[in-house]
Parts: sequence; C-alpha cells; structure tokens
Amino acid sequence: MDSPIYLDHAASTPVRPDVFEAMRPYFSERFGNASSTHRWGRETRTAVDEARERVAACLGAHPDEICFTSGGTEGDNLAILGAWRANRTHTRSGVACSAIEHKAVLGSVHECAHEGADERLLAVDHTGTLDLHAARAQIGADTAVVSVMWVSNEIGTIQPVRALAEHCHEHGVLFHTDAVQAFGKIEIDTRTLPVDLLTVSGHKFGAPKGAGATFIRRGLTLEPLFYGGSQDRGRRPGSENVPFAVGLATAMELTLAEHTRESARLRALRDRLEAAIVAALPDTVVHGHGAERAPHILNLSVPGTDSESMQMALDLAGIACSGGSACQSGSVTPSHVILALGVPHELAAAAIRMSVGVLTTDAHIDRVSTVFPMLARKARELASA
Amino acid sequence: MSNTPRVLVAMSGGVDSSVAAALLVRDGWDVVGVTMKLFADGHDLPDRPCCSLDSTSDARRVAEKLGVPHYVLNMVDHFSRDVITDFVAEYARGRTPIPCVRCNTFTKFSDLVAKADGIDAEFIATGHYARVVNGELHRGADDNKDQTYFLWGIDRAVLPRLLLPVGTMTKPETRALARELGLPRVADKPESQEICFVPDGDYVKILRRELPADAPALSRGHIVTLDGTVVGAHDGFAQFTIGQRKGLPGGFAEPVFVVALRPETREVVIGPREALLGSGVTAREVNWLVADAPRVGAAVQVRVRHRAPLVEARITRLDGGEIELALDAPISAIAPGQSLVLYDGTRVLGGGFIEASRPAIARA
Repeated sequence: MDSPIYLDHAASTPVRPDVFEAMRPYFSERFGNASSTHRWGRETRTAVDEARERVAACLGAHPDEICFTSGGTEGDNLAILGAWRANRTHTRSGVACSAIEHKAVLGSVHECAHEGADERLLAVDHTGTLDLHAARAQIGADTAVVSVMWVSNEIGTIQPVRALAEHCHEHGVLFHTDAVQAFGKIEIDTRTLPVDLLTVSGHKFGAPKGAGATFIRRGLTLEPLFYGGSQDRGRRPGSENVPFAVGLATAMELTLAEHTRESARLRALRDRLEAAIVAALPDTVVHGHGAERAPHILNLSVPGTDSESMQMALDLAGIACSGGSACQSGSVTPSHVILALGVPHELAAAAIRMSVGVLTTDAHIDRVSTVFPMLARKARELASA
Repeated sequence: MSNTPRVLVAMSGGVDSSVAAALLVRDGWDVVGVTMKLFADGHDLPDRPCCSLDSTSDARRVAEKLGVPHYVLNMVDHFSRDVITDFVAEYARGRTPIPCVRCNTFTKFSDLVAKADGIDAEFIATGHYARVVNGELHRGADDNKDQTYFLWGIDRAVLPRLLLPVGTMTKPETRALARELGLPRVADKPESQEICFVPDGDYVKILRRELPADAPALSRGHIVTLDGTVVGAHDGFAQFTIGQRKGLPGGFAEPVFVVALRPETREVVIGPREALLGSGVTAREVNWLVADAPRVGAAVQVRVRHRAPLVEARITRLDGGEIELALDAPISAIAPGQSLVLYDGTRVLGGGFIEASRPAIARA
C-alpha cells in the first residue's frame, strides 16, 4: 500500500519540529516551578511571561488578557461558565450559543442551564451559517453570555462573529468565540474585534495537545474553574505548564508567519478535492456549500453511503478522515451539526469530513480524488444491492 | 492491493474473539477487527463483560498488539429494534426469550457480512465455539462450550464465508493459547454468561423500564394449580419461567414448579415435577442450515436448552416455518421462546423458536 494519507488536520496536527525544540529545555534542565524565587524559578517565570506576551501579540491582546489553559474544552468551559457565574443577575439569565457548537460549548451552556440559566440555541441556515437576524432577536438586555464559534470544526463555515459581537456589545452581553478552528485560518485581532473572550487550542496548529489559551478582555471578571494558588491572576491556579506555554507561543508565531501563503495553498487543495469528488459523483452534497468557509475543511455526503463504512474503507485504503467530530468511543452517530443544517438523517449519517493541512500534498489530493469516488461508488452499489 | 485474503473479525474484547483474531493473524490472513457497540452505555449498566467501553478498549488494544486495524461499529439502533424490543415483547407474552439468537441472526452476522462486503473481505470470523465443515455448521469441539444453540438462526449463505478459529479448541486451550500468543490481558477475563444488556441478570428491571407501569406481565395475578385452584398471588407473570421453583407458595406434599404461564388470565400455573415433562415440541420461524433439510419422519437429535443433553426425536409435522417433533424420551421444562435446535451428530441441521410442548402426562 502507498504511504497513508492524513486528511484529519481539524482533529489534530503534528507538533512542529521548531515547537518541539523550543519546548525541550523546559522538560529537562529548565524544570523549575515558575512560582519559585530561586534561579530555577526565575528562568521559567521569564519563559512563561515571554510566552504570554508572544501569545498576546499574536491575538492583538495585552499579556494580562491571556490565560493559559489545557486547550479548547477548558477554554470554552472557563469562558462560558466563568463569565456566567461571575456576571449573572436576576435580570440577565440568558446564555446562548449556536446549534452547531463543539460539544465543549454545548456542554458548558447546558451546565449554565443547570445553574439556572435560560438556555438558548441560535439557529443556523441550510449552509451552516448563523441566522443573524434571528440571533439578534434572541439576544438582548436579558442575556448574560453568548458563545458562537468562529469557524465550524465540522463543516468549516465562518460565522458572523463580528456582527454578533457588536450586537452583544451594544446590549451589554458578554461574548465568547471558540476560535479553535479559526486561528491561523482567519485574521484575529482583538483590538478591532469587540469580543470579550476568545479560545484557541494549540494542537490544531502544531503545538501539543493540552496547550491552549483563552483571551479574557481587561476589566472582565470570571469565576475560575479551579481554586488554589494565584497563578494566572487566580483565573487558573496550578503550577504553570511552562513547556506548553512556550510551545503554544512558538506555534502561534510560526502559524501567523505563514498564514497568508498556507491558507491559499490549503484552499487550493481543498477546492480541487471538492471539485474532483463532485465531478465524479455529481449528486454529492457538500455541507456548508454556498457559505463562506475556512480553507481547510471539506465535509460532504455521498447519498446512498454511510459514514461508518466509508471511514473503514477509506482507512483501509490508507486515507484517514473523520465522520464528524472524533468522539471518545470511536463510534459514529450522525452529527448534531449536520442535522442542524436540516439535512435528512440518512444523508447526515453519510457525512465525511476531510481536512487538509501541513501534511497535505498535491499528490495526496490526486490520490484521494481517485480513490474516494471509487470507494463511494462501491459502497453505493452494495447498499442498493 | 495484496492478494492475502481479508477477514473481518468481530472482537468483543474477550478471550475467545481475541484468540480468534490472533490465530488468523498468525495464519497470515489480512485481519480487520471490529467491535459492535450494541447498546448505549448507561449509568445502570456499569461494566458489562461485553459491549462496554472497557471491552471496546480491550478489543482495540488486542488489535493494536496484533498490528491490525480496528473499528467500532455502532449497531445500537439495530440491536434495540431487533433484539431488545423482541426480548421485552416475548416476556410480555409469557415466554422466555433467547436474545442471543436474535442478535446473531439479525444483528451480528448480517451486519458483519454487509460491512465485510464494503471492505472487500471475503470472510468473517467470530470467537464462537462451533465449527464450519464443508459449508455446514457443526458443534464445537468443547461440549461444555458449544454455542450452536445460539447460532441456528443465521443465514445459511453466510456459512461458507464464516471462520470460527476457536471452535476446534476447548476453553482452557483457548486461554492457554491467549497467553502463548501474548494476550495475557484477556487470557483470564471472566466468562460472560449473562445476557449482555441485562445488568446482574435482573431482566425484570429491563421490563420495568420498557413496559408501561400497568402492563399485565408486571401486574398482580393468581398462582393456580393444574386443577385451577388458586393457591397464591404473584407480582407479574413475567418474573416466572417454566421450571422455576423460587418464589412459589409452600405447603405442598411434593416440590412444585411453574409448569405454564397464562398471559391472557395473568395466571402462573404450578404443578409437580412430572407435569414439566414434555413428550413433544413445536417450534416456529424454522431456519435450516443444510441443503438437505430433513423431512417428516426423519430421526434427529434435539436440544431445547443451552447445554442440555441431546435427545433423540422424530419429525412429525413440517408446515412452512413450523415444525413438530415427537421426543423419544420426555424432556423437562420446555420453555416457549427458547431455541429448539436439531442435530445430526455434530452437524447442526437448523432450529426454531419453541412455541409449545406436548405434556407427557395428560393434564386435568
């Protein structure tokens, strides 16, 4: 078999060699606790402070606006639950998110509801883009927190975050965006974008899993998720994960440095793959088609196939992709995101997500453009037999 | 593409299917492992010997160790529709269902074959104790472990594509081989005897969950003797099985057993040991696993309960999907809903679901 092709960059990416090298000393000789006063502590404190400045610079933020986390799930929880718990009032009890959020956001909003919040789900249209008109009507003086992702992790659609953030701003509502799939694909500048909270996750762009950060605008109070020491201004107690902070900063800088070129490259690869599959199987449904999409994600359903069988067949043919968002047990159920677009259950159960990235080459796209339609045709013949 | 034949192995995470997969790898097959997720992991189902998250990860770890790909197949909807629904309906009708047969018949084997077709796998394999010889199903070499009682319902067309690598071995041999093949993690795993989706063998809990609160099967009724005398009360006939002694009123001269359930009157009928004996049995939904299915008058051996001894019998009626047999020696506690499996020596001819038995001793 030819060497396997990784088309699941939206799930995770390899740690960049430069990131690995930058982190290495902090696993060995520079092991000190950043809270210690001695030389070991000073050297890691400096490293964390510098990392915080570098991450802040990448987001157009002040260093004190950056809170290091363990990644997207913690960041989403901290932003939503932290903002809700610290800012809820009797008259502001609404917590809203879009219907296509990552489980980390849906779960956090649901937890707010357990704590008394009025949970609101903001609808998307058939292209997977937030219905801004309807959302505006659901968000007002009675709303405490709104969280809407910038780029859908499953279908890649870009959400009208700026317009929504402005609306929230006007009504005194705190706004968080899960920018896990957006960073490195879309320009993010918190100086001009009126978001209060923004979450990124390192392993989507070459930092290790477990490295993340959340932007928390100055003046905003959050209830922390954990209690203990005063690290990260008490917002995230616990000894700082120095190597991961350094790794995250390095990966963010490298990602931004190549952003324009890489986005164009990925978009060309993705568009070529999409065109090839649609040309071979004209009844293919591309989810998010017609909407503005991030360059790296392609999600489609070939009618008459099922995602579970297709993923098996693709993997055995050496092509790694996903049927939606990867889930704990590795089992597959139709995605709530695809269903939220109004796609019929059977078609939703056929959805395959392919995401291009650092490992993707032209040759990969050539091969998948041939193999995917072949496997899909075969699956369809078997299903109809 | 290589020319090594591909086989799709159903891996539960237990010792039998793990060894089955390991043997196929050793013999040079292109092995692909799958674990079937049959029901949602609920809080009331902690760690089950099969289908649990733990078992799935055991299967994945075995596959990883063997260097073969492994996938989880979500069959929750199929299993619920084909197996659990029927299980509940059968108890509600006063019968004693055998869900493993329905699972093998409708879920496991048919879905496995469909998945196998999708990945160009000519063969499928499981860890069952049974053998396939010349396209026919035979009892496993280990009489204690033989699982053909649960396999009679599968489509005969599957047999030529079915590999049962542990069917020629005894359970202790399988365990020993697991250690030999470097699978110590699964070698000493406890046997799964219970029904996978029934926690602690408490099937009534499942019935209470699935049936309405006022379902007749779970409502109070009379315990009566064979002559109709009311001798007590019960909290639902679904809690009783033919042959059961537990939970019956005392004070009789000889031991009494449940001899019949009458769902239409909610009566549980009790009687002496002799009243349990059946001299004939009828079954429905008959499935043949051989090309030369036996005809009326044919002498066969039958089994009406897992692990029960084989009994000589003669086919007295065959009518579409129904079969009736006369037993050479009476059998005790033939429970409607269980399997009737027909054998010719080690060869499995076919089977059906027991509909009724003919009492050996005429009842009043």
